[in-house]
Amino acid sequence: MLFLVCAFLAIGLSLQAQSVEDALKPVTRTYALTNATIVTQPGEMIEGSTIVIKNGLIDAIGTNVSVPAGAKVIAADSMYVYAGFIDALSNTGVPRPKNEDNGPRRGRRPDGVNPGDPPRELAGVTPEKQVRNDLKPDERSVEDMRKLGYTAAHVVPHGRMLPGQGSIILLAGEDGEDMLLSEGLSLFTQFEAAPGVFPATVIGVMSKFDELYRQTEQMIMHMDAYAKNPKGMDRPERDEALEAMAPVVKGEKPLFFMAPGVKDIYRVLRMQDDLGFNLVLTGVKEAWHVADQIAEANIPVIVNLELPDLPKDSKKKEGEEEDEAMDDEMKMLQERAAERMQAFESQAATLADAGIQFGFTAMDAKTNDIHASLRRMIEHGLSEDQALAALTTTPAAMLGVSDMMGTLEEGKMGNLLVSDAPYFAEGANVRFVMIDGHLFEYEAKKATKGNPDATANVNGEWSYTVEVPGQTSEGTLKLIDNSGEISGTFYSTQMPSAEDIENARLNGNELSFDAPVSMGGQRMSLQFTLVITGDTFEGTVSVGEFGTFDVEGFREGDPE
Amino acid sequence: MRYTILIALLLFFGVSLSAQSEAGSMLIKNGTVLTVTNGTMENTDVLVIDGKIAEIGKNLRAPRGVEEVDATGMHVMPGIIDCHSHIAIDAVNEATNPVTAEVWVGDALDPLDVSIYRALAGGVTASHAMHGSANAIGGQCETIKHRYGTYNPNDLRMEGAPRTIKFALGENPMRVHGEGRGIQPATRMGIEQVFRAAFSEAQEYQAAKQKYEAAQANDDNTVLPPQFDRRMETLVDILEGEIIIHCHSYRADEIYMLMQVCEDFGIDRLCFQHVNEGFKVAPELAEFGAGASVFADWWAYKFEVYYSTAYNAAILTENGVVTSINSDSGELIRHLYHEAAKTQRYGELSNDEALALITINPAKQLGIDDRVGSLEEGKDADIAIFKGHPLSIYAVPMKTIVDGKVYFDRNNDADDQRLDVDPEEVMPAFFLDVQDHNYENCMQGTYQTFNALFRG
Repeated sequence: MLFLVCAFLAIGLSLQAQSVEDALKPVTRTYALTNATIVTQPGEMIEGSTIVIKNGLIDAIGTNVSVPAGAKVIAADSMYVYAGFIDALSNTGVPRPKNEDNGPRRGRRPDGVNPGDPPRELAGVTPEKQVRNDLKPDERSVEDMRKLGYTAAHVVPHGRMLPGQGSIILLAGEDGEDMLLSEGLSLFTQFEAAPGVFPATVIGVMSKFDELYRQTEQMIMHMDAYAKNPKGMDRPERDEALEAMAPVVKGEKPLFFMAPGVKDIYRVLRMQDDLGFNLVLTGVKEAWHVADQIAEANIPVIVNLELPDLPKDSKKKEGEEEDEAMDDEMKMLQERAAERMQAFESQAATLADAGIQFGFTAMDAKTNDIHASLRRMIEHGLSEDQALAALTTTPAAMLGVSDMMGTLEEGKMGNLLVSDAPYFAEGANVRFVMIDGHLFEYEAKKATKGNPDATANVNGEWSYTVEVPGQTSEGTLKLIDNSGEISGTFYSTQMPSAEDIENARLNGNELSFDAPVSMGGQRMSLQFTLVITGDTFEGTVSVGEFGTFDVEGFREGDPE
Repeated sequence: MRYTILIALLLFFGVSLSAQSEAGSMLIKNGTVLTVTNGTMENTDVLVIDGKIAEIGKNLRAPRGVEEVDATGMHVMPGIIDCHSHIAIDAVNEATNPVTAEVWVGDALDPLDVSIYRALAGGVTASHAMHGSANAIGGQCETIKHRYGTYNPNDLRMEGAPRTIKFALGENPMRVHGEGRGIQPATRMGIEQVFRAAFSEAQEYQAAKQKYEAAQANDDNTVLPPQFDRRMETLVDILEGEIIIHCHSYRADEIYMLMQVCEDFGIDRLCFQHVNEGFKVAPELAEFGAGASVFADWWAYKFEVYYSTAYNAAILTENGVVTSINSDSGELIRHLYHEAAKTQRYGELSNDEALALITINPAKQLGIDDRVGSLEEGKDADIAIFKGHPLSIYAVPMKTIVDGKVYFDRNNDADDQRLDVDPEEVMPAFFLDVQDHNYENCMQGTYQTFNALFRG
């Protein structure tokens, strides 16, 4: 198990469990979704309606639309259809370069590099870079975002302070170029220092950005003067980085500046004030401090979909002495943390209340948490229409693609998602996603809750497998039900010996228990929740702060 | 419902926070006023209007709506100024090059650093947030006022304070660049050459700019400016007297060396930091007009800092050197008044001389003595109120006031003063800085960089 967790940490969060997605071969390029509730745009809903997509474009929407002959008909009764979501900024579809496997800050400075004057690539100054040649339609992130209902994304290269330029891509395609809708529409920058070379600190990054910006201003002046009258003048030196920055300096291209924290935001606003670029304040997590200022300056904003993790339910261990003074202090600390948590969760609502239009970026968020994050923002005051606008119409407008996507309208691209309940409802499943007329179908998630009225026999020796991203881990469970008292042992191939399980409980056909394991000298408890059906079970295991993983198993025989 | 309460709370905070950077008014009644520059006045009032000291005198009346603060039995002194600190910044050392004049710690101020509050609790109202000493020519520094409570980094800046820059002599730049990378400076001689080469290059840059400007004035568009270079721009500003050099130093020979380099390049705004061997070159420092910002009694944390004395500040003072005592530490900053008092045990400085070491003298070294550093009519109302004389071992800071607003009040001192609460971590981790007093904080951030650079 230790190996499992280490492996999980080493592999990182980008790998996700296998999906059930199935891309259907297009036998026909005409589809009709019938008798659905169609949300054509935030706040506009047509019930019992049909939508026809022909050759990748929306052909008709309405209650009196007839299904064309030869169309593949999807009976979407009781389902909800929305315009496909647009990720306002991410690296979706762009594989992370190998040399950044350990994260850019932990990388090593290559031999022979002068740390005070490193090559631009190492310094992170690559504003000329485009994603075109790196895009991969089968990149895991594409599939992960697609099954959440995302159909398009504004993507930028991986990198450091100036990773490159933004392109709009569709989250489906034969190859990279097939996904590409437009490129070079923006420049992306972030406070990301370089490993052991200049700029190695945030102050280095800010200085370097300012210098590049002013050098670009000089270059533009020189080029203009040279174009007017080159006689007697040195010819301008070509510099692809400065040339890539020139449209930003001229105000022809927006600068998407990553600014998650409140200090980042203030720093970016001051730089914008100094230099005057067209700013899109990107990835904000703590913008409630500056909502009024942003609203007044009319600065476009992209909200970060990553929220702080909610606290785990801390169970008081039995027999633990209560220390009153400690409890008072803990209470105060808990209140402050909770207050702060609410501020994070309310950020989107605060911005919306200030009249700020914003999109969402999934850049920092774990894809598995995105639906929950949206729900938390909605619980804290963001309206569902505002949330939907931030996923559709606002990013479409921000990126200049409102004519193509963002709403369900005749003539627009066939980008949509179908969910089996209103999208923001708990437990809602995305069942279909259509991108540019390509259909993707998904199964509903498995029920992980047991039935308290069912019965189950736990006795026996069970084999189990745990699905951890990128691998599976195996082991055995021996369980004995002694008239309701459940005991047993837990063994993993990564453990030296079996351990007794604790706190086992059977409720209907749902079995829960804790399995203590030793990891790096520390004891921790794996919490299993399994639903038993006959001789098989399915469920989850929570591995402390590392996450929750799927478990499957079957009965091999009776315990000795 | 909880949400509505929260929003109300946020709005309330929003209002009170933005109000904090505004100036305040108050009448401090009946204290023992230690003006530092104009003697001590018993049973005296200080009237503060809109963040400025409006009047100092007896039996003053508070204008309508102005709050009175009873200072009977208390000592009222100018807010303490720390000429060397690294609190309230997110980056200390850009240790990648022997010369990094282009970087500026003022770009990365950290208003959420709880050290600011701790400094206020020691009567400190302003500090010099410095770049580290990894490089011969380090980054530019920022003079900040301790307006704790704001989330806006810009609110900390002491608007109008002159620009300053960190230089460093001796072992730190030699180790990082010479030993670490086998480049200049590997020796103290090399450090001098780094300075001379940098200033010479800056003179060429300056000349090229002047040539371009002259051509522009003659409508000659064929002459191009040198490519914009922040490092050179900064060095030119030093040559033109717009930036005060604050140089990390220990040994007398090197201190003397930098004065000669500055003389050769026509630079006269210079203050030495640490300057443990300053007592050996005190007359020379006085003649040059260079300041000295020292520790009271802190040394022997590396080879070049063994030859030291607790009489350093007194000897420098007696020789007419503008001398201050600094902290270079988030801990020591809380009791600079004790540090100043040590000069009365080691050197028998007068009360005013000792207090000057942490008030008007650091203000002079930072070029802000027209604004702060003493209690005088027209100056900023940056004030510390003590129970007991601040140079007494029994001194207790009671109230600390910046721009006429109370930022620390011992009678209203909440347990948790954090601004930056981690929503995921209920129990915050408190780190005691074990490097304090073993090694100067100037090298903060270089260990990681050092490892990344050379051991990686």
